[in-house]
Amino acid sequence: MTDNKSFRFKIKDNLLEFKINTKIYSLSAVYQAAYLFLDKVYILLDGDPQKEVVVIMKEKSSFASASAKAMADKKASEDKEPVDLEKIAGEFYNELLNQLLREKVSQTNAKIREYIVSQALYNAVPNEVDELLKEVEEEDWQEDPLGIAKTWEEQNLEGKKSKKGKMSKKGK
Amino acid sequence: MQSIKFNKKIYTLEAVEKAIEEFKNLADFSLKEAGNYIEVKMDKTDKEVKNILSDEFANYVLGLMS
Repeated sequence: MTDNKSFRFKIKDNLLEFKINTKIYSLSAVYQAAYLFLDKVYILLDGDPQKEVVVIMKEKSSFASASAKAMADKKASEDKEPVDLEKIAGEFYNELLNQLLREKVSQTNAKIREYIVSQALYNAVPNEVDELLKEVEEEDWQEDPLGIAKTWEEQNLEGKKSKKGKMSKKGK
Repeated sequence: MQSIKFNKKIYTLEAVEKAIEEFKNLADFSLKEAGNYIEVKMDKTDKEVKNILSDEFANYVLGLMS
């Protein structure tokens, strides 16, 4: 077993193990960083997310020997550079910092981002007030089917005239 | 038989179950919750993937968590 004190890696049986302090790096940053390395190594996470997350890495190429297909994969992988777990672990730490920065920037810009999105949505959706005004403008207000626009005199004088006419006819 | 343990504080049961659903053609999976861990056992594993199945499975579950 080797122990690199500067980064505190432990390597045993093609397994590399190291701990991440979750008071410095959030669990979501660990997830995101791990996600980016899934194509290079096998990763299993353990530990307590409140204190320390243990990252266990395993080389992918060391298992390519079981079947004919795997043999072909092995031949292809031999042409490539061998996976250096320590190097990948170092890159993992760098990626953690990168993800942490992304989170911080995302938090800082959250309000500005929400404002921009809300403005974009507001402009994209037609304004209700504008639509109502347009409807009112399109209506023909000069039509008066219920007779609302007539004055009291107009309505009542017409009624009296018609009554008078009827009375005079009766008197004759 | 192969088995792998997932820490409940880091991996969700939903992610593990979804991964089992995706990998069900490659082995017979059984799931058991024991204390702080979700234990997944794999039996009758497809020969071609026997050596890598548990590790690929773990990676897949982690991918679902991200």
